[in-house]
Amino acid sequence: MTTQSQELAVSANGIVKQYVNGTFTALHDVAMEVHEGEVVAFIGPSGCGKTTMLRLISGLELPTQGSLETFGTPISKPGPDRGMIFQAYTSFPWLTAKKNIEYGMKIMGVPKDDREKTAQDFLKLVHLEKFAHSYPASLSGGMKQRVAIARTLAQNPRIILMDEPFGALDAQVRWEMQEMMVEVIEREKKTVLVVTHDIEEAIYMADRIIFFTRNPGRIKESIPMEFKKGKRFKQKEEMFDQDGYAQMERKLFAMMREEIVAAAAA
Amino acid sequence: MIQGTKNSAIVTNRDAPALFARAADVQAHKERFFELLSPASGRQTVILGLLGAFIFFAVWEIGHYATPEEGRRFLPSVEQVVGELIFLFSEKGFFYDVLRSCIRIFGSFFAASAVAIPLGIMMGCFGKFKALINPTVSGWRYLPAASFIPLLLVWFGPSETAKMGLLFLGVLFFLIAMVLDNTEAVQREYTEAALTMGASRARIVLEVVVPAAMPAIIDSMRTMIAVGWTYLVIAEIVGASDGIGAVMMRAGRFLNVDTIMAGIFMIGVLGVLTDIFFRVVQRVLFPWNIKKKV
Repeated sequence: MTTQSQELAVSANGIVKQYVNGTFTALHDVAMEVHEGEVVAFIGPSGCGKTTMLRLISGLELPTQGSLETFGTPISKPGPDRGMIFQAYTSFPWLTAKKNIEYGMKIMGVPKDDREKTAQDFLKLVHLEKFAHSYPASLSGGMKQRVAIARTLAQNPRIILMDEPFGALDAQVRWEMQEMMVEVIEREKKTVLVVTHDIEEAIYMADRIIFFTRNPGRIKESIPMEFKKGKRFKQKEEMFDQDGYAQMERKLFAMMREEIVAAAAA
Repeated sequence: MIQGTKNSAIVTNRDAPALFARAADVQAHKERFFELLSPASGRQTVILGLLGAFIFFAVWEIGHYATPEEGRRFLPSVEQVVGELIFLFSEKGFFYDVLRSCIRIFGSFFAASAVAIPLGIMMGCFGKFKALINPTVSGWRYLPAASFIPLLLVWFGPSETAKMGLLFLGVLFFLIAMVLDNTEAVQREYTEAALTMGASRARIVLEVVVPAAMPAIIDSMRTMIAVGWTYLVIAEIVGASDGIGAVMMRAGRFLNVDTIMAGIFMIGVLGVLTDIFFRVVQRVLFPWNIKKKV
């Protein structure tokens, strides 16, 4: 049992999360396993607890009950092994793009020379070499988010947690960011958990989708993206051409509609 | 319009609506003084600012000459006040008084800042620390600083400590509340992002919360030092022999309105200079905060 659970990037069992002294249950009896190198998307209606689950894995919040482990270690607090990217822009406005990327490494005690070299590499990875010395105030929303992504990657986390990372961006930038992110995940071979409300985004980025339902928040279904046959696509069009893509999107839309109807009836 | 009709050979009825529309377009571009969502341009800001000052001094000057001869000494003219100010500086050693007042103000203000800023930031960062301090500190804000004058006099006599103490108390509790607000307004995700990066609490406070809150804190300081100037005159009534307030109080006893007004004018000038100082500090220390400008 121990050997197997150590290979699991995330292992959750009987997770319950309650707020306001137990009067509100955000998550009820949630269990999941995420393997190393897997890209998993959490989707579901508002209030289904998908963001709460991500925050529990990050260690920013702790479960009321249940066991939650990452690579065999119980999660008790946040740490650089689980890098998090938020919907709100978190690139620090008082640091240049490059200094932002260096900041995470600075916290880890990486020597200055190494920091600068690595920061340069990651600036290139997120296509921001030209903006190394720009402050976030002069960058677009998408660029600010790329700074935050590079800062997280530069810490070399084992897991990347993304909470609606592209939710604040306009459609075209979001699409560019999704493709960039897939490219980055392929290169860096990371385990990624992404919370999104965008079905197409979830299908495009994830190897598997975990669908949450509400009242109380729990997992409805874990859906592997079998139609991709283990591939990740550099460009979104390639995905649209796959047999089974349309059926997958239809299935998820139907599931989401069911949730909306149930919420309206409640 | 007449020019236009002359130049085009024929103006038919069908052209009329087009002409009319064009005239309406021109009309729409005409600038209105009271226009919503339309900030003044750089040049307009300067011109309108000077115009406003000019109107103020003109009304004052007219007021002076409109006052009957025998009452004019109670409303001296602009040139009398400016002349008095020059006289005070050249003949009465007013520079020394201004310096004393500045030392009192800046000394007590920076002492208050040295207490309020760390305290406010700590309260803003740590909820339990806030719960411990805030109820007690909030109450103090409702006590008028001037009501401490008798107490300060009993404790310290008509000394420098009493005067500085009043300025200190007048600023401290408001500044704490403002710094607390500024700190709590820091986007929570900055702290969360730093936590997920594995930063220690000390690092987060010093390297994330402080830089994030500092521009707003400097703004709060700018607002509160203005309050400090208002307490200055009160403080210098407390048995002061020097300082702008003391000079004004002495002049009041002899109904020297021009001296009083020169003192008020001087405080105004110093206030504006302080304001400019804080704005420059803001720009120099936080070049990254450009979106807040203009």
